[in-house]
Amino acid sequence: MRLPRLLRTTPFRLTLLFLALFAASASAFLAYIYIATAGEVSRRADAGVSREIQSLDAVYRSGGFAALNQAVIERASVNHGFLYLLMSRSGAPISGSIAQSPVRDGEGDDWASFMLTETDADGAVIKRPARGREERMGGGELLFVGADVGESQSYVVKILRALWGAGALVIVLGLAGGVFISRGVERNMASLNGVIEAVRRGELDARATLRGAGDEYDELATGLNDMLDRLQRSIAGLRHAGDAIAHDLRSPLTRLRARLEAAMIEADAGRADPRAALHQALDDADGVLRTFAAVLAIARLEAAGDAPNQAVFDPAALAADVAELYEPLCEEKGLDFRAELTPGLHLVGNQEFIAQALANLLDNAVKYTPSTGAIMLRVRRRSSGDIEFSVTDTGPGVAEEDRASVIQRFVRLENSRNQPGAGLGLSLVSAVARAHRGGLELDDGPGAVDGSGPGLRVALVLPKNG
Amino acid sequence: MRILIVEDDGEAAEAMAKGLAEAGHGCEISADGLAGLEAAGGGGFDVLIVDRMMPRMDGVTLVGRLRQQGDQTPVLFLSALGEINDRVAGLNAGGDDYLVKPYAFAELIARVEALARRRETGSVQTVLRVGELEMDLIGRVVRRCDKEIDLQPREFQLLEFLMRHAGQSVTRTMLLEKVWEYHFDPQTNVIDVHISRLRSKIDKEFDHPMLLTVRGAGYRLEA
Repeated sequence: MRLPRLLRTTPFRLTLLFLALFAASASAFLAYIYIATAGEVSRRADAGVSREIQSLDAVYRSGGFAALNQAVIERASVNHGFLYLLMSRSGAPISGSIAQSPVRDGEGDDWASFMLTETDADGAVIKRPARGREERMGGGELLFVGADVGESQSYVVKILRALWGAGALVIVLGLAGGVFISRGVERNMASLNGVIEAVRRGELDARATLRGAGDEYDELATGLNDMLDRLQRSIAGLRHAGDAIAHDLRSPLTRLRARLEAAMIEADAGRADPRAALHQALDDADGVLRTFAAVLAIARLEAAGDAPNQAVFDPAALAADVAELYEPLCEEKGLDFRAELTPGLHLVGNQEFIAQALANLLDNAVKYTPSTGAIMLRVRRRSSGDIEFSVTDTGPGVAEEDRASVIQRFVRLENSRNQPGAGLGLSLVSAVARAHRGGLELDDGPGAVDGSGPGLRVALVLPKNG
Repeated sequence: MRILIVEDDGEAAEAMAKGLAEAGHGCEISADGLAGLEAAGGGGFDVLIVDRMMPRMDGVTLVGRLRQQGDQTPVLFLSALGEINDRVAGLNAGGDDYLVKPYAFAELIARVEALARRRETGSVQTVLRVGELEMDLIGRVVRRCDKEIDLQPREFQLLEFLMRHAGQSVTRTMLLEKVWEYHFDPQTNVIDVHISRLRSKIDKEFDHPMLLTVRGAGYRLEA
C-alpha cells in the first residue's frame, strides 16, 4: 500500500519518530509521578492511622475500655477524616463510624485497602478509596482505624488526567507541525526536483530559482545551478569539438577521395602511372593525419577548460629549447633569427602545450617571412606580472580587419594559399592561451621597410599563476 | 623478428601483420587482452604491439601483469588516446614506446625495430661505433676516420640516437620525441634542417654518405 506522498516525506517521518520518542518518555515520566504521588498518599494515610491508633491506645491504657469507647464515640461524631470501629473480643461492633470492619478474618493487623460507600446530599452513591488497620487492645478488644484517602487520591488522578491530556495535545500539535514542516520542505524540494526532472527530459537550460533566504535550500539550488552550468558548458564544448572534427576532416578527405578517383580514371585510360597517384594519395593522407592531430589537440583543449598537467617552469628555458629547434630552419631560409629571453621568470602552465604554441608561431613566421627578413622570439614579463611570449616577423603581416578571423580554424588569408598547412596554427595557439586563461594579441611588426612588411607581432600572454 | 600483435580490431591487426611480414617479421595476433596475455606468456616474442583499449583486459593491465611476471619483452602501445596523461600512464605501466592512432605504417615499423634493437644492446656502452664513425659518450667526442668532428649538444644527441639505431629507419616524429622530447608535429621541415646540418658535418668531407634519407619514412644511418 502506498502512503499519501506527504506521509512519506522525511520531515514527517522524523516528526513521527520524535513523537514516538516523546510518547514513550512521557509515559515513563507519568508512571514515575503516579508511583511517587500515589505511594506518598497511602504513606501519609498510614502514618495518620498509626498515630490515631497510638493516641487511642494511650486513652485505653489510662482510662480503660470505657474511656476508649467514649473517645471513639466522640471522635467518630466529629468528621476529621478518620473512620473508627471498636469491636468486642469476638469482633462484634460496639461503637464507631462504620458498621463493619473491612479487615477480613485471618489477616491479623495487616493493612486493608477498601472502598467507602457514601451517599451524598442528592442521594447519589459515591465510592471513595480508604485504608485502615485493626489493633487488639490490652483487654482483647479490637480497634479499627481507617483513613479516607479519596481526596488526595482523586487529586492524583486529576493531575494524571491533566498530564495525559497535555500529552495528547502535544501529539496532536506535533503531528500538525510535522505536516506543516513537511509541506514546506516538500514545496522547496519540489522546485529542485522540477529542475532535475526537466534536465532529465533534456532541458539543460532549466535552473532552480533562488528564494534569497540564504538557507540550505538556496545553497543546494546554487550548487545544482553551478553544476548544471559546468555540465552545459562541457557538453557544448564536446559537441563543438565533434562538429569541428567532422567539419575539419571532411574537406581534406573529400579532396583525397577526388584525387584517387581522378587517378583511377587516368590509370584506366592508360594515361598516367598509378604509382605517382599513390604517392600523392599517401602525402594527402599524411596531411589528413596531421590535420586530425591538430584538430583533436584544439578540440581537447577547448573541451578541457583549464589545461591539464600544469607545473611551474622557466619560460625562457622553454622558449630557448623551441628557438634551438627553429634556428637552423631560419638560417637555411636566410632569415635573421634572434631570441630575447628574460631569465629568472616563473610561469605555471602546461609546458607541452606552450612549447607547441611557440612552435606554431615560429612555423607561421618562417612560412610567411620572405628570405632576408628577420624573426624575433621574445619572452618578457609585463608590468601587470603577466608573462608574454611574442614572435615578431617582417613578413606581410595581417590587416587589422582580418586579425580576429585568422585565429579561427581553417581561415587562411588569400595570399597564403600557396603555403603548406591547414590553417590551424593560430587557432591552436589561441586555444592554448584560453586553456591558461590568457590571451592572444596580433599587432603590426616593425613596419614596412624596403617593400616588405609591415610584419606581424603575435603575443601569447599568460597570467602569472596559470 | 617475432612480433605479437594484441589488437581487437581484426582488420587493423591483419593489415599490420601483413605490413610487418613484408618487412621480414613474423607476426601472431591475439584479439583481446586475456588471449594476448596467454600468448605473450608463451614467450619467444621480440616485441609486443599492444592496443590500449581492448575487451576482457585492457592493454595497460596486460603489460602490468607481464612485467609482474618478470617478462621484459619490449612493448609498443597503440592507442587512440593521445593525451600526455595517457602516454605517461602507458609508459608507467611498463610500456617502452607509445604510438597514437592513426599512424603512418613507416612509423610503426621504425618504432618496432627500434624497440627490438634496444633489447639486443642491453649492456651499458661508453663508446658507440658505426663503420668509420665513433662516438665517445663520456668524453663527448665524435670522430670519423679518426678525424674529430665538432658537434653542438643537440647535434650530439641526434647523432647518438641515430647511431644507437644504426641500420634502421627512424622517423621525424621519433627524432622529435626522443631527441627533443616534443610530442607534436611541426608543420614545417624543422627536423630535416637539423639533419642536413648534421649531415654536412659528418658526411661532407668523406667519400661516402652515412646519413641517408629514406623516402616516406625518415632517415637511416648506415656504416
